[in-house]
Amino acid sequence: MKPAPFKLCMPEEEQEILALLQSYGRDARILAGGQSLVPLMNMRIMQPQVLISLNRCTSLSYINAQGNGIAVGARTRQAEIEESEQIASRLSLLSKAMPYVGVRSSRNFGTVCGSLAHADPLAELPSVAAALDARFQLASVRGTREVSADEFYIGALTNCLEPDEMLRQVLFPALPPNSKSVFVEVSTRTHGFAVVGLAMCASIDSSAICRDVRLAAMGVSETTLRLRSAEAMLEGNTLSAELIDEVSRAATETMNPPHDIHADGNYRKRVACTLIKRALSEVVQR
Amino acid sequence: MNAIDDWTLVGESILRREDAYLLRGQGKFVDDLPVPQNTVHLGFVCSPFAHANITGIDISRAVALPGVIDVLTGNDFVGDILPFKPDIKIEGYREISRPVVATDTVRFVGEYVAVVLAETPYIAQDAIELVDVEYDPLPAVARIEDALDREAPVIFESLGDNVIFKSHFETEGFADHFASVEHVLEGEFHLGRVTGVPIEPRGCLGVIDPVADSYTLWTTTQVPHVVRTAIADHLRLPESIIRVVTPAVGGGFGVKSHIYPDELIVVALMRRYRRAVKWIQDRREELLSDAHAREHIHRIKVAVDAEAVIQAVELKLQTNGGAYANYPFSCTLEATGAARMLPGPYRIRNYKYDVVSVVTNTAPTGAYRGTGQPSCFLAIESMMDRIGRELNIDPADVRLRNLVQPEEFPYVNAVGVRYDTGSYKESLEKALEISGYREYKNRQPKDRLIDGKYRGIGICNYTEVSGTGAPGWRVRGFAKMPGFDSSRVVIEPDGRVAVYLSQADAGQGHYTTFAQVAADRLGVAWSDVTVIEGDTSKTPFGTGTFASRGSVVGGGSIIRCCEKVSAKVKRIVGEMLEIDPSDLVLSDGRVYPLGTPDKGLTLKQVAETAYSMNDIAMPEGEEHGLEATDYYDPPMVTMANGTHVVQAAVDPGDGTVEIERYFIVHDCGRVINPMIVRGQIHGATAQGIGEALMEEIVYDEDGQLLNANLLDYVLPLVLDIPDMEIAHIETPSIDTVGGIKGTAEGGLTGAVPAVANAVCDALSGLGINISRVPLRPSFILAQIDKAAG
Amino acid sequence: MSFKNLVGMFFKYPDTTRVTGAVEQNGRNDNDSATVQLTINGTVYKREVESRYLLVDFIRHEVGLKGTHIGCEHGVCGACTVLLNGNSARSCLQFAAALDGAQITTIEGIAEDGDLHPVQQAFHELHAVQCGYCTPGFLLTSIEFLRSHANPTREDIRRALVNNVCRCTGYVNIVEAVHKAASQLCHNSSEYDREQT
Repeated sequence: MKPAPFKLCMPEEEQEILALLQSYGRDARILAGGQSLVPLMNMRIMQPQVLISLNRCTSLSYINAQGNGIAVGARTRQAEIEESEQIASRLSLLSKAMPYVGVRSSRNFGTVCGSLAHADPLAELPSVAAALDARFQLASVRGTREVSADEFYIGALTNCLEPDEMLRQVLFPALPPNSKSVFVEVSTRTHGFAVVGLAMCASIDSSAICRDVRLAAMGVSETTLRLRSAEAMLEGNTLSAELIDEVSRAATETMNPPHDIHADGNYRKRVACTLIKRALSEVVQR
Repeated sequence: MNAIDDWTLVGESILRREDAYLLRGQGKFVDDLPVPQNTVHLGFVCSPFAHANITGIDISRAVALPGVIDVLTGNDFVGDILPFKPDIKIEGYREISRPVVATDTVRFVGEYVAVVLAETPYIAQDAIELVDVEYDPLPAVARIEDALDREAPVIFESLGDNVIFKSHFETEGFADHFASVEHVLEGEFHLGRVTGVPIEPRGCLGVIDPVADSYTLWTTTQVPHVVRTAIADHLRLPESIIRVVTPAVGGGFGVKSHIYPDELIVVALMRRYRRAVKWIQDRREELLSDAHAREHIHRIKVAVDAEAVIQAVELKLQTNGGAYANYPFSCTLEATGAARMLPGPYRIRNYKYDVVSVVTNTAPTGAYRGTGQPSCFLAIESMMDRIGRELNIDPADVRLRNLVQPEEFPYVNAVGVRYDTGSYKESLEKALEISGYREYKNRQPKDRLIDGKYRGIGICNYTEVSGTGAPGWRVRGFAKMPGFDSSRVVIEPDGRVAVYLSQADAGQGHYTTFAQVAADRLGVAWSDVTVIEGDTSKTPFGTGTFASRGSVVGGGSIIRCCEKVSAKVKRIVGEMLEIDPSDLVLSDGRVYPLGTPDKGLTLKQVAETAYSMNDIAMPEGEEHGLEATDYYDPPMVTMANGTHVVQAAVDPGDGTVEIERYFIVHDCGRVINPMIVRGQIHGATAQGIGEALMEEIVYDEDGQLLNANLLDYVLPLVLDIPDMEIAHIETPSIDTVGGIKGTAEGGLTGAVPAVANAVCDALSGLGINISRVPLRPSFILAQIDKAAG
Repeated sequence: MSFKNLVGMFFKYPDTTRVTGAVEQNGRNDNDSATVQLTINGTVYKREVESRYLLVDFIRHEVGLKGTHIGCEHGVCGACTVLLNGNSARSCLQFAAALDGAQITTIEGIAEDGDLHPVQQAFHELHAVQCGYCTPGFLLTSIEFLRSHANPTREDIRRALVNNVCRCTGYVNIVEAVHKAASQLCHNSSEYDREQT
């Protein structure tokens, strides 16, 4: 288990990265934290010809207020997000999901954008981004464009990036001040490699009426899945036990999750239902 | 035999001396050893097919790669290395052989197809991808039921079908006894396939000594002497020119007690190329091709009277042996083990078993911690609970009514195994007490639902076969397992002590505990004893460290050896002081008449005489030197025992299991070092929890291994393992030297059934009987849904 | 459906009779190398290495510090954990050539003046070591954790230790040892505070 040879580029400026992407195209991969890419390279499942390391491009490392939101750069490590007070106070969903993302050592180097771009259907961050209505900023020498999670994710391990593009930053619109967030997941052991997960945020007023509800599930389809019909059922309604039951059933009834060695589709569907109930019950209790 | 009642250091929790270097990262594991300049690095091309004919191998692209020395295929080894053919001498076993590198046919995914020799490990991996192998795929068989199908493809033509081993046993008049009992309960239990996953993968380094024309193989093994014999046998070399050394080994768990093709290949290649040869396994290779274990199906019938006393048990056991006979255990280790060990601590007088092992297109199976025991105790201990539910008697009481009682020892069980001593009743009673079992049961609601979770309690009583001697191996057909271990104890000229032992440590703390035993028996300071093992050139021949034998056989041998040496010391001093040697004692590094410590001599003074370094002559007829060698072959087995009680909660929303409390009562006879015994219990129990809840090697129907990585082969992490409340009972063996029993496997054996029974009890309100492990969340939730209709 | 299954299916080549690696399809990649300077346990090492050379191999084979072990080489087990610029890292998932100028601490850099670090000492006293192969990784994870958690509960410790896999100890004594080390370190620093005032 050793990686195949490749050419390593260590650009210092963003423009250099984009120029390299333009010249190498499909042969190149961005090496951000490497926590998803390098295991695949060690196993030789992936053998990119060129790696473009972001290590020296410190300008891409930031957590910045931008408009009504927070922008996270391509080189920002997950651990920085985990420890950021700004994130904790304005994007609590992201903070709460962080301990589920890999382990401490992987978060120290793994980047938020790297995990988002990797598009693992069992990774936490794509669902968090979907629930937060994140905007994915894609850059190339041709210019930049912004897409939503729905547009960014095409399938398992597949995103909409063109060969010359990189995920330059992700912008998380801030949550309303009274918004509550929950992240829950279930795995075959207590910590690690999720089977099903759910990211949720909602504003609940004192009479338990929900507004601005976002639900995104992982592990139930090829990509993260926003549960829009469930959100609609909840919007403007009082969060009662009956409603929670009804929503969780309705949201999962039509799901047809894939099967793998850890769980079949039926299990994923059942647990998605449980997680919706748990998440909604938790915000009611708070 | 040899009851000892004057222990001094044995029984003390002395802190380990090996920690000093391991904690600093200075342990010398095989990949840490310095290598000669021109070392060749190996890589193996592995079969991607479960069953296929090899129609061609083109090595041209690989050998053209700079840094590649050579590429060899199976045919290059024919005649050089004989195929593995474990000499299993047991009725019903049919012999098959395994080439070290496949020649015409591959029979499992991961089987070696070609060997790459390169200047660096990186280049070796590059070259593996450039070896072009043409395969003609054949239909594959992965599962037991498929292998037994009449239409199944036959994996070895010489067998005619896929059955490699069949065994039948029944006690006299079994059918009549079975028929005469009113209640017959039936159960079926499936155990998933698992493997040991030591954190250090295997590896070897072969270094040649051109002057002596001898070959040293550093290898990650639990059985150095057996490896050496296997090399000599299969390469047709004199044993005297081969030296096998085990450096520090990062966990063995039975996986490293087999002899693997790569160990033979490394020696053959250093002979052929006259260069040092190194191979370090990677994790994928480990999961694909090291010995797997379990994958058993038990079908059991228990005939029980109205008082819940078992009158007869009938077992039909099927095991998946994998593609080849592993060396030296083949697939019969777990098959005979599980069937023969099933009576366990219970008074099962009438017993019948039928065992069938099949060959399939999966990795060969063999030894892994607990061998056979987690499997048969899952069956019998689950049946204890079912009897309780059927007859409305508490499962703890069902067990109490069936245990071998204290006055019955020594007891010979239905298959003829002698239980020397044991504390079965005391152990269960103590476990019930420390776990608050009765109160828990009294409080427990009928539907088991407390705070939204199903909560239950499970018990497992177990016996642990340990310290197997030659008779124990012979009765199970193993010709290549000597059974004895040996030691050489030397009082050096400076009065300090060296112990040379035939075993090999893989983390058990031998360098500490065996020093404790020798220091205790020779009356010297613990720090004055050095233990040397894991090197065939330094230690006398012996069997090795596996199957809970280290402390029993190694410890026993050292005790006997120390007796021989101290007898010589006493003879010398007796002569010097004109005292009857039997009146002398060894203590505090001195030899003196009992009761008058100021009178005697120091061991150093005695050693000076023995090594002729002073003017005092040795007594007439006494040889120089102050050492002895001892070969200790223990009895068939000595039986340790214990009880696990587990409280578990099942979440009906997601099927996850949380172990809430864990209680263990443990009896391994005379304890050498309680701290280390507790460590063995912790580790084995954690592995048992893994086997019960999450670990499983998964093959699809075509024999593809779907989880050859640690993302998908799920190992327990710290959050999955609860604290364990442990109570010890110490019932010394009357059969082994020093009364020592083994201790390494009971934790795993107890955990699998106890966890399963706790889950089963939690779900009993729903009428669910658990019939398989691992109890993964998806499986449990499906059971709950099924029960709910 | 995921990278995990992709990994699992690595050996699945449906309907093919001729199996070759990906290298053939791509042609051979550029095999470039770079000069890299790393400070490991305070000593500067400058070496020319292939781009693909893993940090763990650099530490073990270029520098000769063998206490950093390889357990899985795909980032799961944590046996290869080191501190990279102060943060715990899987050294099997880092390319040395991409780390020019980095500061690295390995297990060999932990014990000062030959005395065991309090975490090492606690591992010794509470028998948190068996085979010792995973141990350096656990020690570095614990040291990183205790730097930011002065007074952790056992539950905090358990959550931190999911970073590593141990197959011998059942983790029980490791949790106890980290707990003990935490109170030891806490005690040491309060003594230090007293000395300063």
